[in-house]
Amino acid sequence: MRVFYATDLHGSEVCWRKFLNAAKFYNADVLICGGDMTGKAMIPIVEDGDSYELTLSGVSQRVGRDQVAEVESQVQRKGYYPVRMTSAQVAELEKDPAKVQTLFTEQMCKTVERWMQMAQEKLKDSKVRVFVAPGNDDEMEIDDVIANAPRVELAEGRMIDIGGYEMISSGWANPTPWHTYREAPEEELARRMEPMLRDIKEMSRAIFNFHPPPYGTSLDEAPALDENLKPLHGGRVLRHVGSTAVRDAIDKYQPMLSLHGHIHEGKGIARMGKTLAINPGSAYEEGMLLASIIELDQKRGVKNYQLVNG
Amino acid sequence: MATTTEAPRQTLFLRNATGLVKAWSTFDAFLYAFWSVNLVTLGLYGMSFVYAIPDGQLLGAVLLTGVLVTFLVITYAQLVSVMPRAGGDYAWQSRILGGGIGFVLAITGWWFTLWLWTPIYANILVLQFFAPLAYTLGWTGAATFFTSPNGIFVSCLIVLAFVSGVITLGMEGYAKIQRFCFWLGMGGLIVMVGLLLFSTHDAFVSAFNREAASLFGASGNAYQATIAAAAKGGTSGVTFGNFGFTSTLLLLPFLAFYLLWPVWGATLYGEVRGAKEYRKVFSAMFWGLWVTVALVAVIILLILKTVGWDFYYAANAAYWNSLLPGGAAAPVSTWPYPVMFAGWLVGNHLFQALLIAVMGLWFFGWAGTLFLSSTRVIFAAAFDRVLPEWAANISAKRRVPYGSLILMIVPSLVVSALFAYRANFQVIFLDATAVIAVTFLGTVIAAAILPWRRADIYRNSPIARWRVAGIPVITVTGVISAIFLAFMIVEWSLNTVYGTAFTTNVLPLQYFAVTYLVAIAIYVVARVVRKRQGIDLARIHQEIPVE
Repeated sequence: MRVFYATDLHGSEVCWRKFLNAAKFYNADVLICGGDMTGKAMIPIVEDGDSYELTLSGVSQRVGRDQVAEVESQVQRKGYYPVRMTSAQVAELEKDPAKVQTLFTEQMCKTVERWMQMAQEKLKDSKVRVFVAPGNDDEMEIDDVIANAPRVELAEGRMIDIGGYEMISSGWANPTPWHTYREAPEEELARRMEPMLRDIKEMSRAIFNFHPPPYGTSLDEAPALDENLKPLHGGRVLRHVGSTAVRDAIDKYQPMLSLHGHIHEGKGIARMGKTLAINPGSAYEEGMLLASIIELDQKRGVKNYQLVNG
Repeated sequence: MATTTEAPRQTLFLRNATGLVKAWSTFDAFLYAFWSVNLVTLGLYGMSFVYAIPDGQLLGAVLLTGVLVTFLVITYAQLVSVMPRAGGDYAWQSRILGGGIGFVLAITGWWFTLWLWTPIYANILVLQFFAPLAYTLGWTGAATFFTSPNGIFVSCLIVLAFVSGVITLGMEGYAKIQRFCFWLGMGGLIVMVGLLLFSTHDAFVSAFNREAASLFGASGNAYQATIAAAAKGGTSGVTFGNFGFTSTLLLLPFLAFYLLWPVWGATLYGEVRGAKEYRKVFSAMFWGLWVTVALVAVIILLILKTVGWDFYYAANAAYWNSLLPGGAAAPVSTWPYPVMFAGWLVGNHLFQALLIAVMGLWFFGWAGTLFLSSTRVIFAAAFDRVLPEWAANISAKRRVPYGSLILMIVPSLVVSALFAYRANFQVIFLDATAVIAVTFLGTVIAAAILPWRRADIYRNSPIARWRVAGIPVITVTGVISAIFLAFMIVEWSLNTVYGTAFTTNVLPLQYFAVTYLVAIAIYVVARVVRKRQGIDLARIHQEIPVE
């Protein structure tokens, strides 16, 4: 069985399209999206008479009505949400963080819903199974959107049998300086894993799909930050920021395979006893889908793996 | 009349999300680039060979090299902002030119050639630290030991131990060492500049003759004797005003020995969050280069004023000629280290030793750069499964990248022994700069064709809007850099003045041909072995269709 695993798409529509096309491109049987599907920013496209104005990557531009769809597509490529609005609406949002949050949630759900429809269209004649587990940056509301999708299976918080291999998934992460949506202390993360771990019958055929990487490996090194969230020493100094609960679970149960994301710079693999742990990294801003292809064998477990830059 | 000003409108709204960090300080990145084009270690050492082209105008050549390397800096900074990847040259070349070309060009430059740099570092450590320090303290036995084959080899072992220690310590520890060495080293440089600035030429001549007698047993006017010794070897009457256009251009390959490396740290930018910000990456490299160029200009003018231009060339010529078979001994038998000369202006051996020791920090702050980039390139190739998985192994407790370190240290030991004990092998080391220049050439060609080869990534990058006469800026700077690098590669290959010409000695050609063949063989074997394992290396860089 061939598994295609990618993570941390952060709203990049190009990456999602590539993710869906990866099934045919790599002849994969299973697609797994590891979490953090949703974007980090909204870009106002401000209506001004017959034209629209926006600023993307620090560059301001004014476009005509006929070009708005194209610039919206550019914004989506970068993983941002383009929102058409008036100057008055922008001013209103500036004053009210609650309204910004509501609009964000609305945009996220709308986009994820569209992505789910896309999956339905692209894979309707395919036997490929597609799993999505949200990550710590994803708000709770998207779970329902994914759960209601006919062609995509929500993996969060349960054990799933994939052709004889048992996969458990969680998008919850240990605390970050950004106070995101699915964060919890390590003890709570361990408690969340417990029921899923109990469901697994054979660890030598198990897959852990946990968004945060195990602490103290090469998969969890992120730029060290000071108290003001400023990277230290030119961003070159790295520190371990992974989860000890995830690490303990891997060390104790030794699953066949452990899939992670969360730390975009932590691309690589780590051998932890009998477990192969993978973080394919993320380059969603470039529209490049960093991913891994894993061949599973009924006798040997993980037969081979490859990190690709799709 | 009352006026109202409209508040700037918000151009984006952010929510709580991982990784939204503030801008990093450019100073630390500048430090890394500044150390890479090391004014003292590589700079003074590299410039000690320019006597071979007496008609060249050194200051003009330094400034011209600075301008040309700036195009290289612009090209690399753009590549970082388009694709910030650990492994730099390897990642860019393999993704733009193809996996095989990328592997062969990057691995020969950043892996195999870096073995040669261990004895080069060790030799600089001997010439700028052990030998002058020992002579100054009157430990002549120690000084001569370090210039013997055993001494050179011991110095290689010290370099390898120090570099391994730094890598084991991690970037945080190394960044602290770099800062410490930077501030103290700059203090030493200010003292050196002050001594040369406030002393007269006559005072220097007098000090030189005094210390040449005291430390090296030279009799009479050692200053004039040095000039006379160089004249016997054909170097005489060099003036600062000498200017031959072609000769000045021919100085560029010598200066590339240190001024070519502000982009040395580009292999590490995959780990830097916010590396897509072109301006910051560019600033770090640009100022690393141009602060060094400015300091070199100051040193050159002070040598002209106080030491004497003819003498500076003569001292270098006399020293290097003395090492040739049958070469006449120079009155001062150690390498003419400008720091040591400046220290001689104070007639106190303890002060002189202290100045040499403090200026030695320019070595220790810099030496850690020797293998850091190599480890990242090896990691990237291992992640692509071209190299075995263990090459990217890291020890669980101390976080030591022992796989890549073994791949660097073991061959470096062999190469160091060859350098120390086989004199005829040393000619190969002169090509150490040229092979990395070939790697850079591959990268700038990749940069030049990026807008067409990876159009999607380019269009989506912050540099996509930069054009000159309709041509992408990355193409323009890439082509200029390619011409500059190609010029130097041709000169290194054919011009006998650098000691690297294939026409006079085929050993370097054979050596490097073997390294390229080995790299090709590794890649071919990896393709075959991985295919048998069900892994197609060709698909690593294939782009998945979007529609």
